[in-house]
Amino acid sequence: MKEPMVRTGTAAAPQTAEKVSIYGVVAEFESPEALLEGVRAARALGYDKMDAYTPFPVHGIDEAMGIRRSRLGWIVLGGGIIGAVAAVLLQWWTGAVASPLVVGGKPLFAFEFGLPIIFELAVLLAAFAAVLGMLALNGLPRFYHPVFKYSRFDRAADDRFLLALEANGAGFDAEQAAEILKSAGGRHVEVVTE
Amino acid sequence: MSSAERTVQVLDNYEMDARLWRRGRNALALLALGGWAVLAAGYSSGSAAFYPAYLLAFVYWLTIALGALFFVMLQHLSGAAWSVTSRRVAETIALVIPLSAVLFLPIVFGLPQLYEWARPEVVAADPVLQAKQSYLNPRGFTLRAAACFLIWGLWAVILYRNSVKQDDGGTLELTRAAAKWSAPGMILLALTVSLASFDWLMSLDPHWFSTVFGIYIWSGSGLAGFAAITLVLLAFRRMGMLRASVNHEHYHDLGKWLFALTVFWAYIAFSQYMLIWYGNIPEETAWYHERTAGTWRSVAALLVFGRFFVPFAVLMPRAAKRNLAVLAGAAAWILLMQYVELFWVIMPVFRTEAGLMWIDVAAVAAVGATFALAFWWLLRRHALAPVGDLRFTKALEFTNV
Repeated sequence: MKEPMVRTGTAAAPQTAEKVSIYGVVAEFESPEALLEGVRAARALGYDKMDAYTPFPVHGIDEAMGIRRSRLGWIVLGGGIIGAVAAVLLQWWTGAVASPLVVGGKPLFAFEFGLPIIFELAVLLAAFAAVLGMLALNGLPRFYHPVFKYSRFDRAADDRFLLALEANGAGFDAEQAAEILKSAGGRHVEVVTE
Repeated sequence: MSSAERTVQVLDNYEMDARLWRRGRNALALLALGGWAVLAAGYSSGSAAFYPAYLLAFVYWLTIALGALFFVMLQHLSGAAWSVTSRRVAETIALVIPLSAVLFLPIVFGLPQLYEWARPEVVAADPVLQAKQSYLNPRGFTLRAAACFLIWGLWAVILYRNSVKQDDGGTLELTRAAAKWSAPGMILLALTVSLASFDWLMSLDPHWFSTVFGIYIWSGSGLAGFAAITLVLLAFRRMGMLRASVNHEHYHDLGKWLFALTVFWAYIAFSQYMLIWYGNIPEETAWYHERTAGTWRSVAALLVFGRFFVPFAVLMPRAAKRNLAVLAGAAAWILLMQYVELFWVIMPVFRTEAGLMWIDVAAVAAVGATFALAFWWLLRRHALAPVGDLRFTKALEFTNV
């Protein structure tokens, strides 16, 4: 069986590891189950910073990797509250303070007519907070990621399940990480540089 | 795919325990008997409070059943998988509607006691009611109500039968048939619920009109129906039924629906209020004027906070929707608020002060226990979940992101 050709210069050569900082150690797994095994093995040995790259969503991967729920909901809530408060201040200040003018016999400010604006501005800023907060949390958009250097990264979009143990995790050791991935059934283990 | 090849995962006992069923039947029958006895006493004593109390109780329970019919058609139309294991409960609640038509008869007989437009002497002195007489007359009212019950009953029975057929082996044809029936059914449901709200509730103030009133009542009805489905399923869970088939993932989704419909209700209720407040035309504001006078003002405030702010805040966190005790509390609270709202819509026409009378309680118990008895009886005829539905396994595997 022939292995696919390894692109030259993409896999980190050991001699460059001293000069270039390491991103992490990446391995390839054959199936979602094997990937989950690898994740559990790494977690059991204290590795907490890792990422998986798979062709389709793998059930239970979040729990296995110990990914906590996103804080995005709180950011959206904050955006919504700011929008609602801003809408009250805007309508009250313009209508009742800066330029008091009675229109149609209505009060200068009232929640009855203020509510549509309050609702709309709350929704608008909540939506902005959702999009911008999402981008801030996941670090997108970005044109480059070190994991692209992994020689077989394209297989993550096809039929393989990749696991990267990242170097910025506590107690990271490249040799130990490679050993964990290998013994958990990972293949084509490579050290990837930044 | 032939039905013989498919293996249905059996996690729960989909048949109700006979002893449990008998105990439930006896309790409901006792409650119904008690309720009807008190109600009959109230009727024979010639109490003027009888008809309003009865109308309120009937509309309250019917809106819940209509909400369940809405649930069933919505799931078929959207092709939802998550709700399949909960669907039989909703179908059975909706199946009570055709039987409930019998309980509508007292309202037909009490038209002059309930509606101004059904009193000839009032109409004779009122040019507006004379102009509306071609629509607001007892015969038209009865015919329109009959049409509503016919349509609701037909769709409730058709969708239930189609679902039950799946129990012996679901096919793609049956799944498609359910969706096909639901499409016109949903349109007809929207039109008939509007019609019924106009006739039964809006015409209590025959001078007043609001075009959004039908959706207003429908939004509350849908919310109450979803709350009832949630509560019945949670009660079943306590009795040891459907424990694996309807789990935290499914309750989480039901909670999301309660949250969404709470917001929808508030949106519609406020739309009606704001336009009338802004227009400030006496013939339109009269309705709210009547309902914010004296003690009714407190009831209106209770609705704003109790029907919107409280469930909105309680159901917002993910953890609350997955906590079954919190969810049960929220669903029960929403059902209570549905009663308070209909009380606030109906009763100011008959009473100057807000306050619960013994006959109101008796009517709710009598009609409710009768509805529940019919539900209980229908429930035992088939499996507690549509086990043969093609999406059944998918529903069992469902998880929230």
